Amino acid sequence: MSQTVEMPEVARGETILRVHNLKKSYDKLEVLRDIDLDIKKGEVICVLGPSGSGKSTMLRCLNLLELPTGGTIELKGDVVFEGDKPKNLDDLRRETGMVFQSFNLFPNMTAKGNVSIAQIRVRGRKKDDADQRSIDELTKVGLAEKVDEYPDRLSGGQQQRVAIARALAMDPEIMLFDEVTSALDPELVKGVLDVMRELADSGMTMICVTHEIGFAREVADRVIFMDGGYIVEQGPPAEVLGDPKEERTQKFLGLVLDH
Amino acid sequence: MGDFFDIFFNFQFMADHFDVVFQGFLVTLKLSAVGGALALVWGLILAVLRQVPGKWLAPVRWLVIAYIDCLRGLPLLLVIMLLYSGLATLATQGLIPRDIGIPQWFGQPDPFWYGVMALTLTYGAYMAEVYRAGIEAVPRGQTEAARSLGMSHGQAMRFIIVPQAVRKVIPPLLNDFIALMKDTALVSVIGLVEAVQAGRDLYSEFYNPSGFTLGAFMFLIVTIPLARFVDRLIKNQNEKFQRGLP
Repeated sequence: MSQTVEMPEVARGETILRVHNLKKSYDKLEVLRDIDLDIKKGEVICVLGPSGSGKSTMLRCLNLLELPTGGTIELKGDVVFEGDKPKNLDDLRRETGMVFQSFNLFPNMTAKGNVSIAQIRVRGRKKDDADQRSIDELTKVGLAEKVDEYPDRLSGGQQQRVAIARALAMDPEIMLFDEVTSALDPELVKGVLDVMRELADSGMTMICVTHEIGFAREVADRVIFMDGGYIVEQGPPAEVLGDPKEERTQKFLGLVLDH
Repeated sequence: MGDFFDIFFNFQFMADHFDVVFQGFLVTLKLSAVGGALALVWGLILAVLRQVPGKWLAPVRWLVIAYIDCLRGLPLLLVIMLLYSGLATLATQGLIPRDIGIPQWFGQPDPFWYGVMALTLTYGAYMAEVYRAGIEAVPRGQTEAARSLGMSHGQAMRFIIVPQAVRKVIPPLLNDFIALMKDTALVSVIGLVEAVQAGRDLYSEFYNPSGFTLGAFMFLIVTIPLARFVDRLIKNQNEKFQRGLP
């Protein structure tokens, strides 16, 4: 584990994460081609696109769960990835929280245990402090009653909210959401989206890969449409969703909204 | 029919020589417990070393894989003989300290410790494969979640992956332990008097195999309940799985 370096504070509206020329390929298959992206503190970005467009891969490259094969990632002005090597993987992971489509809760720990473990082992918090923080975070996502339940006793929506609380308890600067409602029954989606909406209102920087067009329209500051490993179009939701310039975006939205 | 009982189930004989076989069986139990415990630990160490990440540690992975392949491919009897003759030779030639070449730690004779070493080395390799299967059976998302929370590979293994993996593989590990317990009999070839050798001693002296039968009873009293217990664990796990729980 690298030395903890105090990261400079970034004011709201300033660039917090800068991605330049990001590439990812598996052997011959190029999944991401020259992704350029500036993310400002407090910004909520929704990434849309057909499956296979590279949107999940891009998100996973942002905290280096997938290693990009080229390009640079700068976090608060520090290069954390360059070329094909992570330079500061720990810093990047510490500053980003990630929520997955399949929740990935630790099945052998209670909700509270799930939220506490990394606080204790990574942040070095005392167990009591960590547990208190966990209870606070779980309360914020509406699960005060469930702190001592194991994941298998929770619904998908509740599990996903535990996963959000788990990421938030690490005080991330940026939250990454990877299709977090795609595995949920329809009636459970709203609870999770409500939590995300509140989080967005609280000023959290968020990047959400999602199929929830309604959520994107309502909450996002910027919508990114990806296809074939490129960012095809981006802008405020009213523009990209309401009046898309690119044919591929129009086609995709036509397919998604037409049912 | 009377003859048959006299030969194999001579209860008078068993009663008269119960103590000899029982003392031998106690050695069997001790050897199983020490060898089994060390093999469990050694196997886990091997399994974790086999998964160390990074380019620079590749030689470690190769070494572990070669070790596991070799020890799974060798007869335990050969390993016992090799350790016994090898270490004793090295010690008598002064190449290694006598205390290590001819170990008589904790009041146990040296064949006991050669047996412990051989069982640990061999069964450690078997158990490493069992642990590996367990580690690989933990969904990838668990590692990703742990890493995304900032845990290092080592922390993710220690706090998230291995605890789940061990739980999954307790039944097959217990099966290996039963096999290990039966294989302790092989250590008799280098002069350890355990249950089987005790029966053999009685047979040479009295020309009656009931000592073996008595030893067999003692084994079965331990191994059958253990095997049943394993079956129950597996059944419980399957039921949990069928209920769709992770």
